[in-house]
Amino acid sequence: MQNAKPKILVVDDEKGLRIGVQRLLEMEGYEVDVAENGKEGIELGTKNDYDIAIIDLKMPDIEGIEVLINIKQKFPNTVCFIATAFASYDTAIEATKLGAQSYIPKPFTPEELITEIKNGYQKRQLLLEEEKWRKEREERLLEVAFEKTRLNTIINSITDGVLVVNKEGLAVLFNPAVYKFLEFSEIKVEEYILDKLRPEILELINKFLLSDSKEKRSYTIQLEVKPNSEFFIEATASPVFHPGDNLAGVVIVFKDITELKKIELIKSQFVSMVSHELKAPIAAVYGFLKLMIDENIKLNEEQKKDYIQRSMVRLDGLLKMVNDLLDISRMELKTVRREIRKICLTEIIKNILDLFQVEIQKSNITVNFNYQQNSFCIDADADEITRLFTNLISNAIKYNSPSGNITISINQTGNFLVTEIKDTGIGMKEEEKKKLFSEFFRAKNEFTKNISGTGLGLSIVKRIVDSYSGKIEVESEYGIGTTFRIYLPLSVN
Amino acid sequence: MNEKKKILLVDDDLDLLEQNKILIESKGYEVITANSAKEGWEIFKKTKPDACVIDLIMEEYDSGFVLCHRIKKDEHGKNIPVFILTSATYDTGFKFGASTSEEKEWINADELINKPVVIDEFVQKLENYFELNQRK
Repeated sequence: MQNAKPKILVVDDEKGLRIGVQRLLEMEGYEVDVAENGKEGIELGTKNDYDIAIIDLKMPDIEGIEVLINIKQKFPNTVCFIATAFASYDTAIEATKLGAQSYIPKPFTPEELITEIKNGYQKRQLLLEEEKWRKEREERLLEVAFEKTRLNTIINSITDGVLVVNKEGLAVLFNPAVYKFLEFSEIKVEEYILDKLRPEILELINKFLLSDSKEKRSYTIQLEVKPNSEFFIEATASPVFHPGDNLAGVVIVFKDITELKKIELIKSQFVSMVSHELKAPIAAVYGFLKLMIDENIKLNEEQKKDYIQRSMVRLDGLLKMVNDLLDISRMELKTVRREIRKICLTEIIKNILDLFQVEIQKSNITVNFNYQQNSFCIDADADEITRLFTNLISNAIKYNSPSGNITISINQTGNFLVTEIKDTGIGMKEEEKKKLFSEFFRAKNEFTKNISGTGLGLSIVKRIVDSYSGKIEVESEYGIGTTFRIYLPLSVN
Repeated sequence: MNEKKKILLVDDDLDLLEQNKILIESKGYEVITANSAKEGWEIFKKTKPDACVIDLIMEEYDSGFVLCHRIKKDEHGKNIPVFILTSATYDTGFKFGASTSEEKEWINADELINKPVVIDEFVQKLENYFELNQRK
């Protein structure tokens, strides 16, 4: 017997028998509760998980069978005996059908009872064991099922395509995203798939399937699936090993790298454009120097002086371009150390106009600067905002017509300060307007031939405005003039 | 040479235009310049030069191509050497060039001259064409 005493419930309306059995069993080392009628029997039997219950079949209030049903319903592992003198074969059958262990005919001897109880107790132990085992098994199954659904849910949620192929070339696991990367629209589990894949991908898989290598490395390829950079994929194949280091299969992960490739292309185009733009002034200066030292070419002093001056203009332009490029690069890398503080736009624009005084007078341009109040402020880096308006005002001067006008005004619209810079210059054609903010674009026509510039000014303007969550509007009419409207968020204070 | 051959030089970079003019003139040619494709075409029609040298990338990236094409289709133009001047090649990452035979056919230029111009090589090539044309 175990540490805890086996607990037994005796339900009998016959007092003598009840007490006799209790005494007997208590002497045998059992803990015994008694109930003197069916109602009490049900109460106790459904309250405590007894090891064994001995239930009298015939009781005045509730039938023993009823008590049995109730106990079994609540505690199926309580071993129940039906005891009665009114034995009949039918009731015995009925009782066992309803879950009774056996039928003890009255009267019984103490020995008979003890033997039955002992057997019953063994049965109880088995039931408990079985129950424990079943519970464990259920929990494990639940866990496995959960793991499996969880894994599936995760794999199905991945936007990259996942395909697992076993050693025989059968598809064993895949997610819906994989179809985007394959030429066919249906995979069946356990279907032979190798002959359906692109040769490049098959080659990747075969690196593992056709070798005995236990290397845990992966192979990657990039493929242009649709021409003209419309769809680029990257496939990475990695081996899957059994615990014993035997190859189980190969997992292939497909990625859509179209956007990445597009950026790469833009980057390389940008680099070629930059090199071309940098080469032009270098070539010009180089050409002048070469002419000047060429013994076969006779230049007079005036020509030489002219060439040196023109070389300097080109070098100056080159320097400006390099500075602009560095600015753009810093902005792209977000390494610009900003000093955000409350700055006054009117102040900044006044300062810029002062700096351009000489150019303005030289071109005989009239500048009107209108603002309602002096305290139009924004939270920004003063250098950046100065740069922004310097570029715009410089353009308004450069691309203006001789004796033209520049009208600058600042107004508040909602939470934004709107600065308008309007010139009476050469204006732009529709197609030029579209390319306005792209790097190295410069309106090239008979008006602009002699205007120098890096082609980066407006690109920088746009970057600065964007970085402050602002907005630019452009209105332009070819040969009439251009208006830039810059929206910048008003200072919060 | 009995009389100076007339060469039309088209480039939108005024500095390079002047430098190449001086270089080519130093070799005994007459040089007429134009600094846009549009102007180039007008001067071509007016002066009927003996050869054309056109910068590839001008105001618009393809204006050199277009001018070259027009000249080569012209009654006078189809019989004279037309050279394209460029620094834009595949080496510098441009998507177009004149290195394959297909492109050369499309561009329709007789020669592709890299910048900066190596004047002696340039003259050599030019003279080859003049000689060839004379024999015809």
